[in-house]
Amino acid sequence: MATVVIMPKQGQSVESCIITEWNKKKGDKVTKGEILFAYETDKASFEEESDLDGFLLDLFYEVGDEVPVLTNVCVIGELGEPTDTFRPGGAVPKGESIPETAVVSEKPSIKSEESTNAVVASVVASGFVSPRAKNLAEKEGLSLEAVKGSGPKGRIIEEDVLSVLASTPKITPLAKIVAGQEQLQASATGSGLGGSVKAKDLTVPNPVYSNDFEIKKLTNIRKLIAKAMHNSLQNSAQLTHHLGADARRMLELRKKVKKANDGGYLVNITLNDMVCFAVVKALKKFPQANAHFLGDSVKYFNKIHLGVAVDTDRGLMVPVIRNADDLSIQGLSNQLKEVAASCRKGSVNPELLSSEAASFTISNLGNYGVEMFTPVINLPQVGILGVNTIVPRPKDLGDGVYAFVPFIGLSLTYDHQALDGGEATRFLKQIAIEIENLEFEL
Amino acid sequence: MSTTFDLAIIGGGPAGYVAAERAGHKGLKVVLIEKSELGGVCLNEGCIPTKTLLYSAKLYDNALAGSKYGIETKEVTFDFSKMMARKQKVVKKLVGGVGLKMKEHHVEVIKSEAYIKGRSAAGIEILAGTTTVLATNLLICTGSEAFLPPIPGLGAPGDLILTNREILDLKQRPESLVIIGGGVIGLEFASFFNSLGTKVTIVEMLDEILTGMDREMSEMLRQVYAKKGIVFNLSAKVTEVKGNEVIFEKNGKKESVSGEKILVSVGRKANTTGFGLENLGVETYRGGIKVDEKMRTNVPNVFAAGDVTGFSLLAHTASREGEVVVNNLTGRADRMRYNAIPGVVYTNPEFSGVGLTEEAAKAQNIEYRVAKLPLAYAGRFIAENEGGIGLSKVLVGAKYGEILGVHILGNPSGEIIYGAAMAIEMEMTLKEMEEVVFPHPTVSEIFKETIFAF
Repeated sequence: MATVVIMPKQGQSVESCIITEWNKKKGDKVTKGEILFAYETDKASFEEESDLDGFLLDLFYEVGDEVPVLTNVCVIGELGEPTDTFRPGGAVPKGESIPETAVVSEKPSIKSEESTNAVVASVVASGFVSPRAKNLAEKEGLSLEAVKGSGPKGRIIEEDVLSVLASTPKITPLAKIVAGQEQLQASATGSGLGGSVKAKDLTVPNPVYSNDFEIKKLTNIRKLIAKAMHNSLQNSAQLTHHLGADARRMLELRKKVKKANDGGYLVNITLNDMVCFAVVKALKKFPQANAHFLGDSVKYFNKIHLGVAVDTDRGLMVPVIRNADDLSIQGLSNQLKEVAASCRKGSVNPELLSSEAASFTISNLGNYGVEMFTPVINLPQVGILGVNTIVPRPKDLGDGVYAFVPFIGLSLTYDHQALDGGEATRFLKQIAIEIENLEFEL
Repeated sequence: MSTTFDLAIIGGGPAGYVAAERAGHKGLKVVLIEKSELGGVCLNEGCIPTKTLLYSAKLYDNALAGSKYGIETKEVTFDFSKMMARKQKVVKKLVGGVGLKMKEHHVEVIKSEAYIKGRSAAGIEILAGTTTVLATNLLICTGSEAFLPPIPGLGAPGDLILTNREILDLKQRPESLVIIGGGVIGLEFASFFNSLGTKVTIVEMLDEILTGMDREMSEMLRQVYAKKGIVFNLSAKVTEVKGNEVIFEKNGKKESVSGEKILVSVGRKANTTGFGLENLGVETYRGGIKVDEKMRTNVPNVFAAGDVTGFSLLAHTASREGEVVVNNLTGRADRMRYNAIPGVVYTNPEFSGVGLTEEAAKAQNIEYRVAKLPLAYAGRFIAENEGGIGLSKVLVGAKYGEILGVHILGNPSGEIIYGAAMAIEMEMTLKEMEEVVFPHPTVSEIFKETIFAF
């Protein structure tokens, strides 16, 4: 037997609901518990489930229709059963026998351009528009379709028309065509006459009410970095000490290198190369920093395998220079340049990127002017040195003479599980001493 | 210490006096410093005096051509000194008018050289003669002057070598005139003196006159004047000036031409020195003061408008630029747009254009469609221009049909072209233009006819 589904009454004050979606079409098979349609009040949205099996014989309202509560919305039953007796008074009969156009013409459609005036008239007749609002809208050629009433019972008042007019951008004829054809949108004001929006002012829509963001899958390298970094902070007791080293010696050497380069010397030894060289020397004296912390044991390395952080288009990479302690500064410099270049090209040997491959890591942000940071350890290594920019700092040069001296900032992050503060500080100080007393032959 | 002005303006030309007028009208306290006469080059030695003289020449032309229209005249003569005197009267009247406007809008005018001393917490300090002026904002409209190219033998302007300034003070018509530079200024003087019977020779470095205007019409106009007796030397580079003789290289050959007077009209250069611009650290670019679309310089509260910016050297550009400055100062967001600035050459026939030329569209890779019609399609043109030629050309965007450029050769195109400027400013397309009603019979109907030729 055909059973009618009515619009439920959701709350005392609700008089009607708007159908927002039909999940079934006329003639569809319906099983108990399936969602027939979704609807909303001014405050909340709901879904209506079927409480019986059968076929959706007829539906009396379309998406967007406002349906008074307790009114018949659709009919479920066996195919062939008549439904006309359930049709509510105000609804439009809908069936194959009645052409679509007829339906449209009977409804007070507000879609077609020609009918706009008729709509205004009918709305006015029903008293939903104030005369002032109506006059203003007519004068400005504004269709009341676009105006939301804020008066009692949704009555459109003058202020509503004014606010729509104020928020409607003035747009040039060309911009109008271009906006329509290329799905662009106009902002409130543009660069044209009197602030009108010109074609070149149109922008790709960024609808606030839908997605103003984009979700992208992580690249593999990003996934690996994320995992390693998170793992590092979860599974170690890391903290950072900051200390400055007098950079005068380094800058002096750098000048010499530049001069030698101008004279045809082939190795361009940079400040970073010098810091790496100094760190290798310091590590030789502090084997406890050249180690991996393995939980119940510590792996001390005899050789120094220096990891260097390299910023690439695909993300952070930390290739290792094996046996860095065997290299002269020229050799170190060449290798540093080589691995950085191969990382950027993407041709680096993956084995060199493993955090197990390095015994200690350096990350240099000095080029970017960073004055202090807390690098994150590549576990299972026990330390990482952050190298900062060179800044002038006052220094006591003796005999009460103070002068501004270039200092390079050093930020050592270490795993307190493996190293104590005193050891770490002494190691960091040793790096500073090595930097301040750097020697090499060109 | 004197009071602080809201706006100090250096230079009383079309940028300065218009800005002063608008700012005064909006209630700002304005001081305008002008070393010479109000009105600038435009009123005193540019637009206005030349148009006055050209009108005399046109009347003379028309009188001579009267029989074509059924008017028989006896002997038609002209009085050069009377023409010059009338020009002086017109200029004086308009300059006086500007002065009255300044009074009306409570603009304080100081007739003196200006020198920017610098800025302090109190404002920008400008020395105007013996007075020190303090202002919150400064608008620089010091204009431009004729550029004299480094040609060997080319002396300073005076009795023989003339610029737009000296030529307007001639006591009598020269028998012959050599004009170096076939741009707008060169051509207008060529037109004037040609009408009065002077033997005019134009020496132009490029391969066509009126660079920047529609090329096809420039060529048509050149042929009109070639028939009237002007000698054109195109692609001719002046290598030396020897007394009255201008020596130039054309097609690899040396040629020369002599004239009683030599007019140099190869371009203009912005006036950016001598008034303390450096004391504020205002940046320049390609010889002019660098400005953004709101006419702001790199220095806060310092603006520039007019020829001193070094581009679009036109009085109407200058005025609009001045207005942009005032609008932004008085709370109305405004910006300068250069895509719909009309240009008019006051030859006979007049030649006007606004927006893109075909040449510019091609250079910028803008796809366009073009329609052309002879001016004979407009009834009034036929009625009033016996044997006259003319052409109208409209460029629209290939895809959407928006008006990109309109060019009209023929009288009185200068009075019509603003309509096209509006269409371009408003980004109207062919569809909208088709719905506009034009008065009949007018020459302006040619615009509508050309729209329907697409």
